[in-house]
Amino acid sequence: MPLDTSTYNLALLRVDGRRWNELRQQKGQLGVQPSADGSAYLEMGNTKIQCIITGPNERDTKSTSSASTAPTSGGLGATVAVSIMIAPFATVDRKRRGRNDKRLQEMQTTIASGLAATVQGQSYGPRSTIHISLNVLSQDGSLLACLINAASLALVDAGVPMTDYLVACTAGSTSSYAAADEEADPLLDLNTQEEQELPFLTLATLGATDKVVAMLTRLEGMMATAADGCKGVRDFLDGVVRDKGELMVQEGAIGRGEVVSSMDLD
Amino acid sequence: MPREAEPSQNEKDFILKAVREGHRLDGRALDQFRQLDLKFGEQYGVADVTLGKTRILAKVTAEVTVPYTDRPFDGIFTITTELSPMASPAFEVNRPTETEVLLSRLLEKTVRRSNALDTESLCLVAGQKCWSIRVDLHVLSHDGNLIDASCLAVVAALRHFRKPDTGMEGDTLTVYTPAEREPVPLSWLHSPFCITFSFFGSISVGEDGEEKDIWLLDTTLLEEQLRVSSCTISMNKHGEICQVAKPGGAPVEAVTVVQCSSLALQKVKDLSDFVDQKLAEDSKHRNKGGLLAELSADNAR
Repeated sequence: MPLDTSTYNLALLRVDGRRWNELRQQKGQLGVQPSADGSAYLEMGNTKIQCIITGPNERDTKSTSSASTAPTSGGLGATVAVSIMIAPFATVDRKRRGRNDKRLQEMQTTIASGLAATVQGQSYGPRSTIHISLNVLSQDGSLLACLINAASLALVDAGVPMTDYLVACTAGSTSSYAAADEEADPLLDLNTQEEQELPFLTLATLGATDKVVAMLTRLEGMMATAADGCKGVRDFLDGVVRDKGELMVQEGAIGRGEVVSSMDLD
Repeated sequence: MPREAEPSQNEKDFILKAVREGHRLDGRALDQFRQLDLKFGEQYGVADVTLGKTRILAKVTAEVTVPYTDRPFDGIFTITTELSPMASPAFEVNRPTETEVLLSRLLEKTVRRSNALDTESLCLVAGQKCWSIRVDLHVLSHDGNLIDASCLAVVAALRHFRKPDTGMEGDTLTVYTPAEREPVPLSWLHSPFCITFSFFGSISVGEDGEEKDIWLLDTTLLEEQLRVSSCTISMNKHGEICQVAKPGGAPVEAVTVVQCSSLALQKVKDLSDFVDQKLAEDSKHRNKGGLLAELSADNAR
């Protein structure tokens, strides 16, 4: 599916009108599912994710059979179990996915072990599990990055202690190896069209994952761009959490400056 | 589900301490590979890779099938992995473990998605007939670093493989037996190799207490069980990265990843030369008395 990227060089505007270092429109919300222990809804452009946290509760092997798990705090803390469900209506052509989709399993493993590095699970003990269910409602590029961000946000809502947000972002490269164009811009936060066309990487800061399909000469530039994007995403997520906190104070759910005991880390 | 036996606390402490001091249990340097050996079978497309005690067998087969309806001009190329209980008691038949899923996804991204094999050249009659190339990968013995060894085995097997020659006359497609016409090699575009870096936390160096990540290359199973995270870089000898995967685990400095990628290039060049040399030896061995040149169809008739 050839996408005409040559127009980029003329106006330096991407297919959706962004500049190279612009993120897409983001929307985030905490506590979208009142019955869950923690939940969040995140939009990055047209990629829309709902994340539900159940637990920490006692380990139940039956419910984690399709999920990917990773232990926190070197096996001494709670286990993080991640399962991803992509709705059949999430993409342009309606498609049902099997349970054994290896691409999904790989993403589950990546998210689980990535989050396990930031979740402070030792306060729950090794026999408990935190279930993270990620529902993809709409898919338009940067899926892995968006899933990681949504999971981070929902963990904050659930009050699970973490060292920091785990935030992710994608970056692509417009230069080709053959062209050897050193000046070409890296692109931030790709959509589906750009993902199909360009080599890209997903980078998660504070830890965890990168997946690069790129040329060596441009690797550093792309990683720096993605890391910058991650900072932007982190500020956004932090804003969402602070707004929610402000709202809770206004509603009188908690007093200003009050410390919730379960979130007290040290 | 059976699990790999965990190393004892004493073993853990010993190995981690040694690694921090720059030593390994088998006396290798931190960035040194184990003894690597590559043997080809009697048939075309069988590669047997031995890396220390890890042993992997790859076999390539080809058959004529109908192409996928959404890709009428492309042939079919699949890689299947099998981690049998023979290799380690932790593996079960028909129940892919996380190791296996990650391994097959990695090979897929490295070899298939990077267009190492030109699938368009496998098309025989558009929309009706195409070659289906299948690589079966068997792990015969598991002692760590499955990814690098598997990738080498797959690439070597595919480059060694010869598919039967075909001819079109009018509307009839003829597949010639090896007796009729010498089989032809696949259309191979570049050879990607995987290099896996295993991280073991960081130590401070110098007076200013600068943190430096410790990493090992070609880890044994024991070292693999103790690592805090790993990063696999796939590239070809021209330095083109096909993929980089760091599936979670402890955080690593971005600078380290970039440094690793330049070191990986060195190692990939070594591996690439090694495979080239073994392939040349094998073709020399097969081509006794220059018979192949005589059998070739493109002589000046």
